[in-house]
Amino acid sequence: MVNTQISFELKNNLSELDTLEEKLNQFCSRIGLVNRCLCEINLVLEELFTNTISYGYDDEAEHWITFKLSYQNGTIRVEIEDDGAPFNPIEAKEPDIECALEERRIGGLGIHLTKKIMDEMVHRRIGDKNILILKKELTDSPLKDT
Amino acid sequence: MEIIEKEQAGVSIFKLVGRLDSKTSPEFEKRIFDVIEKGSKNMIADFEDLDYISSAGLRVILKATKDLKRAEGKFVLCSMKDYVKEVFEISGFDSFLPIVDSMDDAFKKI
Repeated sequence: MVNTQISFELKNNLSELDTLEEKLNQFCSRIGLVNRCLCEINLVLEELFTNTISYGYDDEAEHWITFKLSYQNGTIRVEIEDDGAPFNPIEAKEPDIECALEERRIGGLGIHLTKKIMDEMVHRRIGDKNILILKKELTDSPLKDT
Repeated sequence: MEIIEKEQAGVSIFKLVGRLDSKTSPEFEKRIFDVIEKGSKNMIADFEDLDYISSAGLRVILKATKDLKRAEGKFVLCSMKDYVKEVFEISGFDSFLPIVDSMDDAFKKI
């Protein structure tokens, strides 16, 4: 039975997206994750990470965001911890994705995509930390891309 | 990400190779708006070699679509991989943006 995990920290800087992709690729190749699911998890991580660095801090200081990815029994678990402002994405207002073009906004789409892609999302505020735990059940057995 | 730009029959065509994310979308935004500023009204984005898109990429596409619509022009996207198309569908972008399977189909929509 495959039981894999990876942990890494990223600074609150957009340049860290390359490291995010690299770490995720390492993790996914270990568990043989298909392209579609790899992109979906990458998207979720990118959206949450960029939200945190864009809106979570009101200073110019360096902050670290911790990621823990694990895979067991066909489920991917992602845990993200940051010391940004209290924010629970589960309670974020849903964007209007049916209104006319002129009224369409991007705000909230990252969280919306996350909620649609992941099966489970739990937020905790512990001390000065936001902790977000997300899970996705892989419906097929992981297969390497051919 | 690589952006290959060309013009055909008065339509600006952008072929994107790689990933359209928070890091690479500013470059795409600049290229699209340069072309819009020069008066281009009709645009096709060829996503055949686009491996990934995030909401940062959607933001550029939304902005361009709105501007082109105001100029009575059109923006058509073609040849998307299925998981890229999924992002557009989940975001509800397929309700206002023509998304077709091939470049030929894209020209028919303009």
